[in-house]
Amino acid sequence: MRIPILKLNDCLLISIQWELDDQTALEFQEDLLKRIHETNARGVVIDITSIDFIDSFIAKVLGDVINMSRLMGAKVVITGIQPAVAITLIELGIRLDDVMTALDLEKGLEKLQQELGD
Amino acid sequence: MYNKIAGHIEEHREELEKIWKDRLINDGEERIIDVMPQHIFESTSTDFFDIILLNLKDKGREYKVKLVNFSDKVVRLGWPVALVMKGLREFVHTVQENLVQYGSIDKEREGDYLELLDKWMTPISNEIVQTYAETWEKTVSLQKMALQELSAPLIPVVDQISVMPLVGTIDTERARLVMENLLDGVVNHRSEVVLIDITGVPVVDTMVAHHIIQAAEAVHLVGAKCMLVGIRPEIAQTIVNLGIDLDRFITTSTMKKGVELALEMTGRKIVELEG
Repeated sequence: MRIPILKLNDCLLISIQWELDDQTALEFQEDLLKRIHETNARGVVIDITSIDFIDSFIAKVLGDVINMSRLMGAKVVITGIQPAVAITLIELGIRLDDVMTALDLEKGLEKLQQELGD
Repeated sequence: MYNKIAGHIEEHREELEKIWKDRLINDGEERIIDVMPQHIFESTSTDFFDIILLNLKDKGREYKVKLVNFSDKVVRLGWPVALVMKGLREFVHTVQENLVQYGSIDKEREGDYLELLDKWMTPISNEIVQTYAETWEKTVSLQKMALQELSAPLIPVVDQISVMPLVGTIDTERARLVMENLLDGVVNHRSEVVLIDITGVPVVDTMVAHHIIQAAEAVHLVGAKCMLVGIRPEIAQTIVNLGIDLDRFITTSTMKKGVELALEMTGRKIVELEG
């Protein structure tokens, strides 16, 4: 099952609703980059509120997607990282230092609008 | 043999009790006897005697209940376990000497009697030690719980701003608790900025700094900003001397400045009312 990517003005919205397996994660990476290319999106919000568990591979793919999107000129905000997931990521040594994060989708969009300057 | 001892003790009870108490008091090391009111010492000692005798005559329910009650009582009175154990030991000696003195037992069989007396005391001492140990364990676990409740509270002070004051030493266990409370609190209170106040942390070494940095990074992941406040001069010195890199975090010396900065970051400020 592929992850739906929604377009809202010049932003793309992705809400990940179930645990990602390796295959889905890679497909998602391809799909997202393709969509950014097609739509010329300037911002991407990835909401992972429903995810309670993340492994190092998924974390790496997410980090990669963020860097790739940035290369293509889209700013990425990750929203709704659960406390347990945050602890796992820190323990895995994944800090996502230069990635924007927000508590929820609403605040994420707000932050993105601010960053994009309108 | 049991009956013989029991008979002897009952017969000479008052004398034995007196010798035994004198021995306990005169030994002198136990200061607790000096500070204890005389009548409490007397009544407890009598209880003690009753129980030992009851043990001899009847091993049924009544004895069990009395023994438990007695153990609870000495624990509550705060008798040191050493004193109670000494009481038991002295009792054995007193009875044995008394038996020999009255010629109730033959010299050759003294060893047998001593062994019998010992066997007879073991369940009592076991029960008492057990009660003491349980009380101590209970106290320790209660204190542990209290400490845990106190160790990492997150206080929502203003909308979108929360504060976590840390007081005392931070070890790995506590750091884990700090991180969990911090993240859960940020998500529950929907805070934008959290201030970790380390005014009360006596020493910041690399380990503590590592834990704090991890917590701050985790806060960033859930989508809030983390500020480190309450950095005392000596803490600043250690941090720099140890080469700990806190460049990625906003740090201030006092909570007051931290709150002002946090308000500024969330687009607000404190103004004085006119008039």
